[in-house]
Amino acid sequence: MSEELSDLSHIRNFSIIAHIDHGKSTLADRFIQVCGGLTKREMAEQVLDSMDLERERGITIKAQSVTLNYRARDGKTYQLNFIDTPGHVDFSYEVSRSLFACEGALLVVDAAQGVEAQSVANCYTAIEQDLEVIPILNKIDLPQAEPERVAQEIESVIGLEAMDAVRCSAKSGQGVEDVLEELVRRVPPPQGNIEGNLQALIIDSWFDNYLGVVSLVRIRHGRLRKGDKILIKSTGKAHGVDEIGYFDPKRHVIQELKAGEVGYIVAGIKDIHGAPVGDTITSAKTPDVAQLPGFQKVKPQVYAGLFTVNSDDYEDFRDALEKLSLNDASLFYEPESSDALGFGFRCGFLGMLHMEIIQERLEREYDLDLITTAPTVVFEVIKSDGTTIYVDNPSRLPEPGAIEEIREPIVRANILVPQEHLGAVITLCTEKRGTQVDMQFTGSQVNVIYDMPMHEVVLDFFDRLKSASRGFASLDFAFDRYQAAPMVRLDVLVNGDQVDALAVIMHRDQVHSRGRALCEKMKELIPRQMFDVAIQAAIGRQVVSRTTVKALRKNVTAKCYGGDVTRKKKLLEKQKQGKKRMKQVGNVEIPQDAFLAVLKADN
Amino acid sequence: MAAAAPDPTEIPLGLYVHLPWCVRKCPYCDFNSHEAGTDLPETTYTDALLADLEQEADWRQGRPIQSVFFGGGTPSLFSGRALGRLLDRLRQLGWLADDAEITLEANPGTVERRYFADYVSAGINRISLGVQSFDDAALTRLGRIHGRDDVFRAWDLLQSLGLKRLNIDLMHGLPEQTPDSALADLNAALTLDPGHLSWYQLTIEPNTVFYRHTPELPSEPVLEAIEDQGRARLLEAGYAQYEISAWARPGHECRHNINYWTFGDYIGIGAGAHGKLTGPAGPMRTTRTRMPDHYLQAVNGGRRQQPVQDTDLVFEYMLNVLRLRAGAPEQLFSARTGLPLDTLEPQLTQLRKKGLLHNDRHALTDLGWRFYNDAVAAWVN
Repeated sequence: MSEELSDLSHIRNFSIIAHIDHGKSTLADRFIQVCGGLTKREMAEQVLDSMDLERERGITIKAQSVTLNYRARDGKTYQLNFIDTPGHVDFSYEVSRSLFACEGALLVVDAAQGVEAQSVANCYTAIEQDLEVIPILNKIDLPQAEPERVAQEIESVIGLEAMDAVRCSAKSGQGVEDVLEELVRRVPPPQGNIEGNLQALIIDSWFDNYLGVVSLVRIRHGRLRKGDKILIKSTGKAHGVDEIGYFDPKRHVIQELKAGEVGYIVAGIKDIHGAPVGDTITSAKTPDVAQLPGFQKVKPQVYAGLFTVNSDDYEDFRDALEKLSLNDASLFYEPESSDALGFGFRCGFLGMLHMEIIQERLEREYDLDLITTAPTVVFEVIKSDGTTIYVDNPSRLPEPGAIEEIREPIVRANILVPQEHLGAVITLCTEKRGTQVDMQFTGSQVNVIYDMPMHEVVLDFFDRLKSASRGFASLDFAFDRYQAAPMVRLDVLVNGDQVDALAVIMHRDQVHSRGRALCEKMKELIPRQMFDVAIQAAIGRQVVSRTTVKALRKNVTAKCYGGDVTRKKKLLEKQKQGKKRMKQVGNVEIPQDAFLAVLKADN
Repeated sequence: MAAAAPDPTEIPLGLYVHLPWCVRKCPYCDFNSHEAGTDLPETTYTDALLADLEQEADWRQGRPIQSVFFGGGTPSLFSGRALGRLLDRLRQLGWLADDAEITLEANPGTVERRYFADYVSAGINRISLGVQSFDDAALTRLGRIHGRDDVFRAWDLLQSLGLKRLNIDLMHGLPEQTPDSALADLNAALTLDPGHLSWYQLTIEPNTVFYRHTPELPSEPVLEAIEDQGRARLLEAGYAQYEISAWARPGHECRHNINYWTFGDYIGIGAGAHGKLTGPAGPMRTTRTRMPDHYLQAVNGGRRQQPVQDTDLVFEYMLNVLRLRAGAPEQLFSARTGLPLDTLEPQLTQLRKKGLLHNDRHALTDLGWRFYNDAVAAWVN
């Protein structure tokens, strides 16, 4: 081993903090290009977002890493380990996990748009973890770029010095090497003892169909070699290391990872619960090595029931969830049975986007036809007998007589919005039952802080906020506390039968307007049938709103003679295909999307 | 599925003859019809039909043909002499029942005394007249070659020839139609006092001019009013709706069509004709090449046959019998298909629970009658 390699001074571990669309992926691609990780021909656009879905939605879901060798202007070659972070509010916990493995972070800000709330939150997480945060002004080639103003904003909003921040354009390549130079100069090299006992942090684990569980690790101390027997601290299980390597972004197999480095290991582990994210790895010979501070275990914020349209698909559905959860530790699921929808699963998600992505993957990758019920947050319910329960399913809310108090989760929401849209944002927050906590004017943006019911925030608030501010406002929020509120369960009755899967918990004051909107939306979504379908929204026995889907008068093929059979059959097959996507509840056929009507009925 | 093949000799037999030419193709028509050029290959086509007929000899299994139906196109473009050749041959072979119903579809624009006198002497005893409407403007929109006066003229002629079994084909739900104008059409038809009336709603079918350029059709409430008022009028006039789109005075029901709807057998000859025949292996469907030219050149008219799969069989049986107001007795199912009655489950019980089907026979209730498609779709996979 050469002298140079035993020293950690050439290693830089970093993340990029950036809002969606501020150019993180493009910048990462430039780094890879500059460092020669891929030839031009291999540079598929935005190579780091590897899942199709990520690429389609332009967001990064799973953390990944690339190791690059950069020959700096000082003549030395540095090993740059870039650990990617997701950029959507639903996935904020994954960000802190990535930051744990780094000594520095680039804060990439769109020089035309300015700072966004999500980036502010992530920046604070990085600063709390003692990372060196380097502001970068991207997209300076845009005619509307205002690097001076945005630099000022970074200083006033976040408190980072930014007047000398590197200006670059990841798109054109301008200034990209300056970014790398700044990175090498300012991010400190990792500290660690190569000759010490093995201590490594699991940054991420995912399931690969060929390799089994692959874990991305950051070595704190010691060495990890192929063939070593390792110990996963929390499970206490020992595994032999089958493969070690790194991504550049192609996979490269190597023999050894050393203190300060980032790479992947494969150790014959069958599912990701065997290599939990945030856990510590050591050698089986040194079981007493201390556990590294892990990450806070993430709790789902939004729960919904998922059911297959065709009950025969239940087993396939369970297998699919099992497989998906191999790769997504944040996905929670447990069996649920509904009178209306039969057997399914109550699933917990990080947020609405997470829910949509899971649902889409289940339908796309596992070919399932699913019904999702209206998502809900978790309510804290104090029962009359003094016990406390947590309710993640409206149909499980105890009878009103058995409830002492219902407490709803409140989040603290940080919103950054340009002054001209402040009025619209405040109106929206008030409508969503928010209470203003603070308001700071910082340059051209205002930082508004509201306490809001989580229930109001997770569903469609983000989209509403964007439209109220022409896309300029940004949002970050975190659970703050439970707070008593007059919540009630709104039941939906279809032809007199209560449909458990349609129940929603809401604030008493909203019952009438939302009940009406919900009934109207259901009327739009439920096709006319052989008989009138009455739709009622009710609190207990009190009906607050009702509509009727008028009966279809007839469904008859007028003329039909001997030779027509095949053609008529095709016609009826088509009609029937449409019905297959509906769920029979009592006598009534209800289409999939009607179960989410409550979401769409929100104004 | 253990199925005793049905006994074909117990199944009535009909004959359908397709004559695929018409003067002008109507924009709503999706049947196998082609505009006739200057000369109709009447002789060669009749020769082909004769040959086509005889290749079905074995399938007849000794049964007399109870009904013959000349459909099209416009079969009345063919002369009585040509159609007579076919009927004579049937008699000569001893295939035709003495009291067979022999129907010809005719266009009011092509009814001429000379031709029709020949039809009658050839043995044709039932005429189905494609009237569609008595409103000249509506007829123009439908692309028909005849006008209102042609209908009355044709009707007088048919009656003067002593024809007793007559049908009028009438459409409703036409572009720009109101309940009043639809009722006026119906009343005009009733003044002629036909024994049989096919009264059916215009539907837009794929592969038609109307499908590509769809005219504006009456709104749903208007269609409902037309149907309600029309139905009341027909009942008042003493007609019974024995099938979804067929009304008749007692004794005037179309035997040929009833044979379709009770899942009887029929030989189908001519370009694009379909047949249904029961053999030792159970029910079969037969087809012929569609294009007239190809049919004339093809060996055996391009005859193909295909057994009907059990699952299709159930569907096809129900598709047919449920069109009849009276439906069919339960035992007819096994007699026609060779399948045990419980093959119809669980759908049968489900439909009965929903109140769509009578409990004692395979017939739709009043509710089921309005949701025929939903009932039949229960047997679609």
